[in-house]
Amino acid sequence: MKPAPFAYRPATSLADAQRALAADADAKLSAGNQSLGPMLNLRLARPGALIDIAGLAELRAVTDSGGAVRIGAGFTHAEIEDGEAPDPTLGWLRAAAGAIAHRAVRNRGTLGGSLAHADPAADWVIVMAGLGANLVLAGTNGERVVPADAFVTGPFETVLRADEMIVAVEIAKPSPGARWGYWKYTRQVGEFAKASATVLDDPAAGRQRCALGALGGAPVVLADGAGLIEGRVDPDGAVRAALAGRVADPQLHVVALRRALAAAKQAEAAQ
Amino acid sequence: MSTAITLDINGRTVAGEAEPRTHLADFLREELLLTGTHLGCEQGVCGACTVFVDGRPVRACLTLAHACDGQSVRTVEGFDDDALMARLRDAFKTHHGLQCGFCTPGMLATAYDIVRRLPQADTARIRRELSGNLCRCTGYHGIVAAIEAVLAEGPPPAALVPTAHRSRMPREAPADVPAPERTAAVADGPASVLKPFAAYPAADALTGEATLARSITIDAPCEAVWAMVENPKTIAAAIPGAHLDALGEDGTLRGHLEVALGPMRARFAGVGAMRLDPAGRQGELRGEGQDRLSRTGLAAALAFTLAPREDGGTQLSFTATYALNGPLAQFGRPALVAAAADRILEEAIASIARRARGEEAAPAPRRLGGFALLVGIVRDAFARALRGRRP
Repeated sequence: MKPAPFAYRPATSLADAQRALAADADAKLSAGNQSLGPMLNLRLARPGALIDIAGLAELRAVTDSGGAVRIGAGFTHAEIEDGEAPDPTLGWLRAAAGAIAHRAVRNRGTLGGSLAHADPAADWVIVMAGLGANLVLAGTNGERVVPADAFVTGPFETVLRADEMIVAVEIAKPSPGARWGYWKYTRQVGEFAKASATVLDDPAAGRQRCALGALGGAPVVLADGAGLIEGRVDPDGAVRAALAGRVADPQLHVVALRRALAAAKQAEAAQ
Repeated sequence: MSTAITLDINGRTVAGEAEPRTHLADFLREELLLTGTHLGCEQGVCGACTVFVDGRPVRACLTLAHACDGQSVRTVEGFDDDALMARLRDAFKTHHGLQCGFCTPGMLATAYDIVRRLPQADTARIRRELSGNLCRCTGYHGIVAAIEAVLAEGPPPAALVPTAHRSRMPREAPADVPAPERTAAVADGPASVLKPFAAYPAADALTGEATLARSITIDAPCEAVWAMVENPKTIAAAIPGAHLDALGEDGTLRGHLEVALGPMRARFAGVGAMRLDPAGRQGELRGEGQDRLSRTGLAAALAFTLAPREDGGTQLSFTATYALNGPLAQFGRPALVAAAADRILEEAIASIARRARGEEAAPAPRRLGGFALLVGIVRDAFARALRGRRP
């Protein structure tokens, strides 16, 4: 099995990658190639060129602005899992990274690549939406910042324009006392989730969010996160109302939210 | 076109040539005859091809040879003098950690990584870490026992350790590696024979099936919508990318459709048949098709009903049952199909409503953001055929 022929262009810098991307409508960015790779091998995707952005120094930059940290999109899941990339959430990213696929995949797959691939069941898609993170997109016309929960528009489809790429993820530092829960249902370890949910409980920062993932398209941030976290709103009803007409049987998502709520409740507060 | 790459393989500097599309496992096996790296699924699932790149285990089938230019690769053949790997090999033998041996090179690579990275791993953790390597013989028990035994007896330190991340900035400006001339688009196979309705499998006869049910409001009178449904040509025209190639008697039809979903493209060509009940404003559609390039097959059965609404509109309800087989089925999870279906439906329904109201239909989008599977569903849903056009 071999992919259909394509040209290979190792980018030497971010600007070089952007130029190459803008110049070739049939080109595709590749970082770890862990999600695109199977599609290439099966010839479901047949791009004319791959622009390899793995290892670009600009995609491994870290900027701490005090309240938030920008993490370069080029870090691998394994680097996040191992703490070699910063985790402003005090461990929540590390735990999520460690549950992505398998170690051999995590060693090459990247944060930005997974987000841009936009498999609706991918871990970073729901985790970043649940955290209320922002994605920093860069194109030929400069940078723009998009909320992670508005990034995915459908299965494998995003707001990325043809000349844009994800360069960083911006994550707010949680307040002392903040808690987090993430739960996903997979039938086998490492496969894509059939349902997932996150709970961010950071009342001091005014951020109490509950989000659902693995919905086939964009993740959903539930309307009354505070009510769910504080037990005033029934998770079952909230999930069924939010997914009405979208998911035939939301039972798995109800369970995912209940378990994420329980995980957040049991979690040690961030210090 | 092959171009030169230079790698450190098992401690030796190796210069070779590889096409851009050649993955590391093929390069190792075909160019260097290092056939200890096994290829199972070639889509990142089975783990048989696991090798070390810069000291980290990776999938050699999902790693391009060119992406490893200047890096260090270690395969199962490269551990002759490695005390930890020797210990693991002995333990695999003692604990019956292999039978046919196909998964063993990948298992040893993962086992090596577990031992050096997670010296405190218990049985559950070992099993979780091994989940990316499939074995069809041993039931895993012997493999887990071998790793536990090595951990318990205090393994020798690992000689192979991950190297610090190095930015893959080329030392000199890299040459683009151009793609070879691409062959023309693959033609559809020999046209399938149009078959009568009863010759297609019904919903309950489709194996491995999934179901998609929707009830949608169409902003147009029921009679006008039904008139469109009765004419497959008008329905096909309303579905972006769909095209009817042939319309036989008794509701048989042939068509095709190309769809794009993210980076994936598929072109389904197929045949089908419909059976209408004008009095009950309902119908059934059955069909089958194939995306020849990815060798993905699709069979579907659909039942729909139209009902007038009090507000003058039409309620369309349908249940589509479909079965996918082949490569696309790997990515055709029902939740994705449903989401993609809804996007196509939204466009198609809007177009149907405009046409049923006699308004000029907007031009169909040049590229349909949908799923190939979908194609089949929608085709069977409204149309009776399809055909699409890629930009």
